[in-house]
Amino acid sequence: MIISVNWLKKFVDIDLPIDELAQLIGARIVEIEEVVDLGAKYKDTLIVRVVECAPLEGSDHLHLTKIDDSGNRQDVERDANGLIQVVCGAPNIHAGMLAVWLPPNSVVPDSYGTTSPFTLTAKPLRGVTSNGMLASAKELALFEDHTGILEVDKNAEAGSLFATVYELDDYLLDIENKSLTHRPDTFGIIGFAREVAAVLGKPFVTPEWLVGLDPMYGDKADDVASLSVTIENLELCARYQAVVLSDAEPLRQSPLEIQTYLSRVGVRPINAIVDVTNYLMMLTGQPLHAFDYDKLVKVGGGKADIHVRSGRQNEKLELLDGRLIELSESDVVIAAGETAVGLAGAMGGLNTVIDENTKNIIVESATFDLYKLRSTQMRHGIFSEAITRFTKGQPAELTAPVLAEAVKLMGEWSGANRVSEVIEAVGVQTSNKPITVTVSRINHVLGTSFTQDQIVNTLRSVEFAVVEDSDKLTVGAPYWRADIHIIEDIIEEIGRLTGFDSITPTLPTRDFTAVSPSEFDIFRTKLRNSLVRAGASEVLTYSFVHGDIMRKVGQNVDNAYRITNSISPDLQYYRQSLTPSLLNIVFPNVKQGYGQFAIFEINKVHPKSTGLTDENVPVEIGSIALSVVNTKELAGAAFYKAKRILSYMTTQLGISLRFESVSGEDSSEVLAPFEPKRRAYVVTEDNVKIGVIGEYKKSVAVNFKLPVYAAGFELETSKLFNAVSQKKPSYQPLSRYPGTERDICFKVAAETEYIKIEAAVNSVLDQTELETNLQPVDIYQADGTQTKNITLRISITANDHTLTAQEANQLVEQVSRSVTATAGATVI
Amino acid sequence: MQSIDDVRRILLAQVADSQEPREVLKAKELKDLYGKISNIDPSERAAFGKNVNDLKNDLESAIRSRESILQDATVTSLDVTAPWDINSSEPELLPTEFGTKHPLTTELDVVIDIFTRMGFEAIESRQIDDDFHMFSALNFPENHPARDGYDTFRTEENFIPPAHTSTMQNRVLKDGKAKLEAGGQIAAISYGRVFRNEDVDATHEHTFYQCEGIFVSESATLSDMIGTLRAFFESYYGQSLKVKTQPAYFPFVEPGMEFAIEKPASLGGKPGEWLEMLGCGMIHPNVLKTAGIDPSKYQGFAWGGGVDRLVMLKYGIEDLRHFESGKLSFLRKFKS
Repeated sequence: MIISVNWLKKFVDIDLPIDELAQLIGARIVEIEEVVDLGAKYKDTLIVRVVECAPLEGSDHLHLTKIDDSGNRQDVERDANGLIQVVCGAPNIHAGMLAVWLPPNSVVPDSYGTTSPFTLTAKPLRGVTSNGMLASAKELALFEDHTGILEVDKNAEAGSLFATVYELDDYLLDIENKSLTHRPDTFGIIGFAREVAAVLGKPFVTPEWLVGLDPMYGDKADDVASLSVTIENLELCARYQAVVLSDAEPLRQSPLEIQTYLSRVGVRPINAIVDVTNYLMMLTGQPLHAFDYDKLVKVGGGKADIHVRSGRQNEKLELLDGRLIELSESDVVIAAGETAVGLAGAMGGLNTVIDENTKNIIVESATFDLYKLRSTQMRHGIFSEAITRFTKGQPAELTAPVLAEAVKLMGEWSGANRVSEVIEAVGVQTSNKPITVTVSRINHVLGTSFTQDQIVNTLRSVEFAVVEDSDKLTVGAPYWRADIHIIEDIIEEIGRLTGFDSITPTLPTRDFTAVSPSEFDIFRTKLRNSLVRAGASEVLTYSFVHGDIMRKVGQNVDNAYRITNSISPDLQYYRQSLTPSLLNIVFPNVKQGYGQFAIFEINKVHPKSTGLTDENVPVEIGSIALSVVNTKELAGAAFYKAKRILSYMTTQLGISLRFESVSGEDSSEVLAPFEPKRRAYVVTEDNVKIGVIGEYKKSVAVNFKLPVYAAGFELETSKLFNAVSQKKPSYQPLSRYPGTERDICFKVAAETEYIKIEAAVNSVLDQTELETNLQPVDIYQADGTQTKNITLRISITANDHTLTAQEANQLVEQVSRSVTATAGATVI
Repeated sequence: MQSIDDVRRILLAQVADSQEPREVLKAKELKDLYGKISNIDPSERAAFGKNVNDLKNDLESAIRSRESILQDATVTSLDVTAPWDINSSEPELLPTEFGTKHPLTTELDVVIDIFTRMGFEAIESRQIDDDFHMFSALNFPENHPARDGYDTFRTEENFIPPAHTSTMQNRVLKDGKAKLEAGGQIAAISYGRVFRNEDVDATHEHTFYQCEGIFVSESATLSDMIGTLRAFFESYYGQSLKVKTQPAYFPFVEPGMEFAIEKPASLGGKPGEWLEMLGCGMIHPNVLKTAGIDPSKYQGFAWGGGVDRLVMLKYGIEDLRHFESGKLSFLRKFKS
């Protein structure tokens, strides 16, 4: 929405510089996006009289003119009479007219502020000099007009500034509509001016014609036209008024000043009839619509019988903009008899449009259910000025005074006369109920100490009725404040109008109970820090993925929540695991020259298969995934690199994990990217599977252009957290006695799992009183053999004496026997 | 000559058995079909040509999946329980200096830490929610135009990726009700990822982070709200700050406003330069009521603001899109 400051000034005395005004409006009414200095583009634009005008020799359409600017412009060539020569090609140029002149060295307003401003010169044209130009409405950045140059319709002095005469020395305030969603009244200049007056502390008087809720509609010329109105469903429309005017002259334009006001706030002038409806809408917030009466009677089966009803199945309507829409039962439709002639509040129908042959018109002033209209707006994509105002909820009281003013202005600007009664139908209406609030309540919420007088005066400054009964105030909001329902609305008015910034900041009182960060947050921070120390980079990737990303890893797309209204196909689905998102950013980083890296993400995933919570919203799974890659092929499988990082992480967290190969089928989506022969479940000491680790399938590597050396893991953070939080610290006092180390080498079948040997060793170590520690030293398999040698190192210490060689030998002997028995190993 | 369907059946079977599936594309049957296209009646030619092309596409996709099966079959299994591979040694971790924390999570930790010390509990916000929590519980009636400002995504099931962390407000209020009625207060922040369905550019993202705060007691005032927010920003920027507000409309607060601070010196701010930081207001009585809290007895304030903005200001980051880009060239600028 654009607010013209000059338009405001017609209703409120503003004597502040523009920056102070903008600041005050920002602090007390609404945020201003931008302040535009409209006057700047017209600073050299002058009104001139065309004194002489004759066809230019050798041209079939150009005229040579002499213009009078009362000698105002300095830097220009004049003839003996002080007149300036300008060549003009417009068909409507004639001697004696007042026109608008853009002198040499001025910038054409239409190009002002653009990347290529056009500066005029005195230039020769067909052998004569043309000094600047006479301007059209388009060149003046006002509106499209094909009739030629702009003809000044005011009795102005030649040489006066165009901007002054037409009040274009203006500032425009750009305000986002949604910032005022709750304030229908401010969508009209008068309502906005009332607010400005209140924050400036200036008097404000609502124009008289807007005050009377039961106005006179001017003289009725004749009673030739009959009209009836029926609201079929009273919920749809609070009030519908209509009147017939005749002898309208559809080719007449509204006064130029009105056209300039409309165009500066973004409305295109059309003709006097349409301009009246738009002008009053911008002024009051109440949209109006004009139908061609004769067309409406024709499509309505011979009479003007207006019905406000819901759309019907299979009903269609061709709109003013030429679009053919299918109406819905949720649309509100204006019908003549059975035929739809308008989409209520949104746009009229083409079948009753005002055109150059229109003689008689129906003017509609009504208000409709805002929720219905909003759904119409969304369904049909209509964002007109009218529906923008209707969907804020205009009060029913407003239709009458605005209609009366419309009848008057249409008479003045288009020559139309009223020829029918004003027909009215009413639906369900709401009205403002008085609200009772105490002074202490207001101060208790705001944290202020306003006096009763301050509060009462503030409310009265915006035309609220206040009845005082000791410190109890009964407040009646004026009808245009449909947003005032509860005590808090009154409190807001007081705070806002007196300025929230005048309130002294305080701090809430609270007790000294310590608030602890959540255990999970502390765990998550540890987790993050441990991976960072392991050389990994934390990334954040989108929660939504393209379906192709899931297909590339072999995940079932049907198990993902699908976004239905995404602007981009990259945001089609909620992801089911983090790994695909990580894989998707590996190649771009490799291409950037990063040869060795690990990336990880801690975030949430949302596969459908996990079901809903007791609130009936999807269960969220906290997940941590890591991928490690190297563009060089290193010794050993990449699997063990990922495992090394994971082991480091869990050691830092104080727990140990087991790795179980994935036997049998497991189609869970988190496993999908991983190669069945090279992946393992990650299992806690309590036998809880918390995730997967592995290398990626070859097909996945191809699809994501991964380096050959690539592996990763993905775990559920909540399960990892449970494992960590169940773990108690297990400190053993240091031994004061020296210990010893023994290496043992086992020869086993190549397919024997390492864990089998480790378990056999531990079964012995767990039994002994001695303090022991087991470390792998070497895993060796000679070329072409079916066996491997696993070397382990056992450190042994006693807590209460120096370990003897015999004790150590005995333990090693037991270990050897255990491994030989359970793993078929031989000790070498 | 065989029909297209016959050829499809035969060639797909060959692909499924082949060790070199790509060779199937050279099959005579396929060549014959292509040869036939130019001889066919012009009225049927387009449809026939399309069918042949569809066949070729089907074959190619079957070949790709067969190839990946063949490739995956060449993979040898390994001992997942071993600490390292045969004939190698324990793999090294990556160099510690490669390790980096994401600036957004780092900053979020700072924000959470300050609020925790001020007495607020912190909970993470949901990333998928329903209409009730996103809108209705926050006093947005069905079809209300105020919903337009949020540009929400929707899933087929009509779940909503929340467009603000206020989606947690009803839950926080319900959870805190007992404590409140026992004479305590509700003081909590919710933080996390939020989503708006909008085009992405240097200053707009469909995915970003917010932090929301709620304080409810018998005596919480608007002046307390302004004081609390100022205290947070003064702690965050380590200096005293001027603050100002602008009236604003959010259905879940009344009065509602936007909160700005004078740009701190540490960010190169000069007096008179303002930074809009967040939206805030006194919690609307309907929101309290929906959570089962008596608005005639308790009152509170709430606020919500973007975290990405704090990070951009702090480091002078020029493009919001870097955050979720996963670019190491960006991430490695943030040493932890």
